[in-house]
Order: sequence, then C-alpha cells, then structure tokens
Amino acid sequence: MAREKIHVGLEIGTTKVCAVVAECRRDGEMRILGVGESPSRGVRKGEIVDFKNATQCVHDALADAEDRSDHEIKGVWLAISGSHINSFNNRSSVTLPEESTISAKEIESVEFKAKEAGIPKEDVIIHSVIQRYYVDGQEGVIDPHGMMGTRLEADFHIIHGVTNRIQNAIRCVREFDIDVEDIVVNSVASAQVVLDEQQKQAGAVLIDIGGGVTDYIVYKDGAVCHSGVIAIGGDHITNDLCIGLRIPIARAEKLKIEEGSAITANIAPGDKITLKNDTGFSGKDIDRQMLNMIIQARLEELFTILHKRIQEVVPEHLLGAGILLTGGCSLMRGIREAAESVFPGTPVYLAHAQAVSGPMSAFENPQLSTCIGAAKYAQAVHADMPEESLLMRLKGFLAGRI
Amino acid sequence: MITYPRWLERNTGKEPVLRLLGIGNAGVNIADRIAVRAALPLETVALNSDLHSLNASVASKKTALGPMTTHGLGAGGDPEMGLEATRESLEELRRAVEGADVVFLCAGLGGGTGSAATPLLAELARSNGSLVIAVVTTPFQFEGRRRSRQAEESLQAIAKHADALIHFENDRMSEITAPRTEAEETFAACDDILFQSVASLTRLISCPGPMAVAVPDLLAVLRSGGGSFLFGSGEAEGGNRAHEALEQALRSPLLDRGRLLHEAKKVLVHLSGPHSLTFAEVAAIMQEISTNTSATSLLHLGVSVVRDDSAPLIVTLIGHCGTSAATEHAAPLAATDAVRKPSPALFAEEAISSNPPPAHHPEPPQTKSTAPKVKQEDLPLEPIARGRFDKIEPTIVEGEDLDVPTFLRRKLKR
Repeated sequence: MAREKIHVGLEIGTTKVCAVVAECRRDGEMRILGVGESPSRGVRKGEIVDFKNATQCVHDALADAEDRSDHEIKGVWLAISGSHINSFNNRSSVTLPEESTISAKEIESVEFKAKEAGIPKEDVIIHSVIQRYYVDGQEGVIDPHGMMGTRLEADFHIIHGVTNRIQNAIRCVREFDIDVEDIVVNSVASAQVVLDEQQKQAGAVLIDIGGGVTDYIVYKDGAVCHSGVIAIGGDHITNDLCIGLRIPIARAEKLKIEEGSAITANIAPGDKITLKNDTGFSGKDIDRQMLNMIIQARLEELFTILHKRIQEVVPEHLLGAGILLTGGCSLMRGIREAAESVFPGTPVYLAHAQAVSGPMSAFENPQLSTCIGAAKYAQAVHADMPEESLLMRLKGFLAGRI
Repeated sequence: MITYPRWLERNTGKEPVLRLLGIGNAGVNIADRIAVRAALPLETVALNSDLHSLNASVASKKTALGPMTTHGLGAGGDPEMGLEATRESLEELRRAVEGADVVFLCAGLGGGTGSAATPLLAELARSNGSLVIAVVTTPFQFEGRRRSRQAEESLQAIAKHADALIHFENDRMSEITAPRTEAEETFAACDDILFQSVASLTRLISCPGPMAVAVPDLLAVLRSGGGSFLFGSGEAEGGNRAHEALEQALRSPLLDRGRLLHEAKKVLVHLSGPHSLTFAEVAAIMQEISTNTSATSLLHLGVSVVRDDSAPLIVTLIGHCGTSAATEHAAPLAATDAVRKPSPALFAEEAISSNPPPAHHPEPPQTKSTAPKVKQEDLPLEPIARGRFDKIEPTIVEGEDLDVPTFLRRKLKR
C-alpha cells in the first residue's frame, strides 16, 4: 500500500455539514488532509427535516472536501446525533463449563447477551461499549481472554437510537453512491480526539454544544459510564434573543456571535449596543445587560440539566480531569464561567481535537471536534480488527444494523 | 348478517343492562378499575375463590366461589380445585349472569379460578340469552408451559360459548410499555388495557347517537376467526381535534403505528364527541382512515354525541386482520350456537389490543408514544412563543418545554 489508510468523517450538523479527510497511519498518528464545509439547511436539532436540502448540503461539503484533500471519497464514517439517542448500562453474564479458559467465543456471547436488553422496538443499538469484565466475581478485569473461570460477567454501556431517523441520515449520504462505512454517535466521536487516556482514567465529562443539540459523554476509570443528547444548542440562544430582543433571526445570530456573552456581572448600567440599519430592519439599541442575561439564563439551565444527569452516575469529586467543553457553542464568551457556576469546584476547560496533525485551523476549531473524531473512530475500529476479515465484518455489521 | 332477535327487540325499549363479571384475581382487578374509575353504565360483579382479594374489592357485587372447597384461600393455580369450587357455587354463578343483556367476562387465564369458571359462566350467560363478550389474558411465556396449556384449554372452552372473545397475550403487553419500565407499572399497564377495551366496548354499545354502531357490526369485527385484532384510540380537543385524535389512535403501538391497519379486513370506526362535532370532521376522519386502509377492507362507522359540551372527540378503531377464509363459516355457525368450532389460529395468533380512554373522563394513562404530546397540551406555557422551533418536535426535559426561552420561563415562575 503506497498511501496510508484514509478515512473520512462526516457530520450533518444543524449549523453546518462538514467532512474531514484524514490520513491514518498504522502507528496511530492521524493527519488531516482537508476539511470540506457547507452551511447546513434542512437540519434542525441535529436531525434531518428537509431531505432534499440536506442532501444538497452533504454533496457540497463532500465536494469541497474532495477538492481540498485531493482525494476521491468513496466511503464515510457518519457522526449522528438527535434527541432520539439514549443510553443505559447493562450487565450480562455467561457460565462456562468447569476447567475451561475464556475464549473469544465467550466474550462475544457476553456482549451479545448484553445487547439483548430491552430497547424500544423501533430502536437499534448503535454502540455497545465494554466498561469492565468480572471473572468469577473478581472485579476490574481488563481483558479476560485466556483466563480461567466459570463465570464471565461484563458491564456494557449501550447507546441506541430510532432506526428510521438514523436511516434518514445514512440515505442522505448514499444518494451520491458514497458508502457509509459505519455510524458513530457524536459524543463518542468527539471523545476520540478531545480526551486522552489519562483524562478518561481520571474521570472526565465531555460536553459538545453544537447548533441544535448538546451531546455529552462521561468517562470514569477509563470507561464510558454515561452518555446522552439534549436537543438544545446555539440555535436556542439565537431564538431566545430573537424573541427577547425582538430582532430578526439573522440579526440575532450575528449579534450573538459578535457581542454575546454569558457574563452578566461588570456591565455598566445603560451599556447599549447599536444595531445599524439593514435592509428590512431599522436600527435598534440593545441593552447589553439584557442580552447577556438571556444567554446566561439559557446556558445555566443547560448546565443545570447536565449537572443533574451527571451527578446521578458520577459524584463530582471523581471527575479528576473535570469538564471539557467543545462544539461551536463553546466559542461563546463566558461559557466557561457559566459552567463553573453550575459545577462548583470542578475545573472547566475549553477543548478541541488533540493528537492530530494538519492545518491548525482545522483541529483547533472546536466546531470540527466531532467530525475529526469520526475519522479517528474509524482508525480505532480498524486497528482493532484483523486486516483480512475487515470487509466481511463490516458488511455483516452494516447488514445487521441497516 | 347474523341476527340477534332477542337483542334487537329489547333495543327499542329500555336501556340495556350491561354487566361485567371479574373472575379470579385478575378479573377482580379489572372489575375494581371499572367500578372506581369509569362513569360507565356497567354493573360490576367480582367473583373469586380467594376471600382476601374479594374483601379488598370495591365492586358493587361480590360472590365467593367454593367457600367449602378452598376455605376462601383461592384455588392456587390448580384448575381441578377451581373446577370443584365452581361446581360448588353453580347456583351463585347462575344468579350472577341473570337478567343481563350484555355480559362481559374478564379473567386472566392460566390460573385456577379464572380458567375454570369463565367457560362455565359463558355457557350460563349464553343460555340466558345474553350477549357474551369475553375479555381474557393468557399468561406470560415465562410463567411456564403448564399455565399456557391451562389457558389454552380454557380459551377453547370459552370460544365455544361466547359471542365474542377478545384475547390479549401478556407477552405482547410487555411491548406496550417501554422496556425499562418498572415491573409494577408494566403489570398495571396490562390491567389497564383490559380495562380500556371494556370501557370502549361499553361506550360503543351504550352511547346514543345519530349513527350508533349496530351490535352485529361489532360482533362481525370481533368474531372474525384467525389473524389478530387491532385496537387503537385517541382523544383530542381544540381546533385540530379530528386530526389529532385520529393521529393518536393510529399511533397506538398495538396497531404497529398504523401499519397493521393496511392489512385489516374489517375496521370499525367509532367517533364520540360533543354537539359541536361537525360533519366535516367526521368526513375528514373517514377520509384519512380510508387512505390508511386497503381498498378492499370493509369500514363500519358509528358516531355518538355526548351531552357534555366540553367532552373531547374520541376516535376508536377496532379492526381485524388476517385470514378471512374461516370467518365466513364461523359466523353463521356461531349464530346457531351449536358447534362453534374454534380454529386453531384463534389461539395461536389472536391478540387484541386497546388503549381507548373511558368516555367522558379524564386521563387514562396514554400509551407511551402519545404521552409527550398530551403532557405538552397540559402545560400552561403553550401560548408562549417558541419562535423558529414552532413547527418541530419540542425538546421536553422533565416536563418543561425547553424551546421556550429560558428567561421567559423563569420569569413566569418568579
């Protein structure tokens, strides 16, 4: 093979559709060759609501990525999101005959059993992530392969979503005869590149706030222990401003990006922002206090919901690596302070993709974390699989799922 | 069409007497629900061999079965004992079915009392000339093969005598609730569905209206042999109620989200609404249903009007799909009452399902799929602008519509 393996990550986001073409080396290094972007239409809250428009945007983004990377895209790894995605933890067990060692067969069957846990009929399991194994009650077994035991138990984190909605995203890509090699949930993808192994071990929360949805994933002791999606994102802030300040959506979006902040303290009373006249919009003075208050209320509420959900699974003091914010909305001024006020005592960082090389503008942009993550996920999956059977396994994988 | 001379004669005069008999523990449960929750023109009688459960019951009439045989301790899942208890109390059973025009028999099959007494009651009621509708459940698979067999035998016996047999498989019930619901809630949901099916049937038979459902129509749908029964119901108020109520009914998981309706051979549609129900609404609903059904299916329509002006519009769909070959034979035979031979398919597949809310009364728990919608209607925040999110699926977390700006919601609460 002259060139190293190339993977393409694609995210159909609420704000933009982006595709990342990355070269993945055997040693685990990854280099970004090109990023294609297209402003998104027909996507709301991370899900497709206008198929035709969304398809067009996917096409534009892929074409852009091909141009920039000089690589013909044949297949993509698709990151998906939406409020229909749910998760839970499940433990399963298998019993082995006396005096036998645990083989791949038992490990497979324990995973299979974990997946049998009831999910709604219209749902499909997207990921089943191993958390830990127990052999005869012995805790903390990382790889039981080859161990002696009579009982193998395993905790799995299972992420599932509504089949039809996932299908819609996949169909969007297949319109152009481009294969979807596999799908990955946004939060899982982002975690691939934003979090490193130490952070996962120490306990970390990754919050990816995008345009339409917020994806989050919680790691403890190196394993995923919780994940989820809340259908709230930057669009909600824009909408709040549009209603609260009585300005058009487009103007509200611009105001949010240029002036918005989640810090309400230290604003001189009567501090005004003057919006210039525009076609279809006569100028207006905006009270900065009001502007920031609206943004702060929305973000604080979002973090409060997250805080409540995360606390149910992990007490705060176990989050050694703290909270990492990524996604387009993490660019909002003062978002770190807003998060800190809700998670007292837990460090909050703004994060972007790590351990990749390529144009700085690509991986330092938190908007692209998920997309880069999807490519990284592809690399991780490929590394786990033996080369020959890869195609077969993937085929079986997709056939079972789609 | 089959004729029911006794029934039709009586229909002209006084109100028909509808009676529900709850037999065994599961049956008593249903009887209790009916007695407590629904304002239905229905007499309830609880019959059980377990005195403890009978004492706790709130049904208007109670009858102990076989006090000498079981010493009031119940049959303990033993059909032999159940049968003996039933024989001992034959006189009481006879009295229980006397003088009713329609008898609903509710029981959970597979145990002792319900399995033994229900066929007998069906026979007794039938010989009195009542219309007999049995609503029964069969046990979960995990309850063991023996119970399933008992249930099956009992089911065959009931089918011989009852005019209509509505059969719920408990195994399918568990699909109604989300997989991770608590066990107690799931059991309650099972009971609830039985309750709701009885409530909707009662409403269908007893509600007056410009276009009442004829009993033979109902029976024709209920009694088609083989295949499976479909039930769906929805209620809504406000400007778009016709559409919303139908949507809800179609979304019932037991219609497989409306998909099964395409296969239905016969569909009975019942609309119940206040005086303000317009013809246009009826026409719109029927129009929509006909697009959801196959061209060859037979539609029966019933409309009833409730005096209460604030009553919601309720759409109930009862259908039957599957093989109709046996149907043509089964129906006429049934009328003669002699040899109503149940086709084997009747037991294997027949499953009926329903979630219709009781007539003019509030909140029967809706199915999961409709819950968020209903919840949202109840929110006092509805009139507040949701801006660009107006037309898309709301983000509801802990009962709050998060699409409404946070600052607006907070201010409301302060």
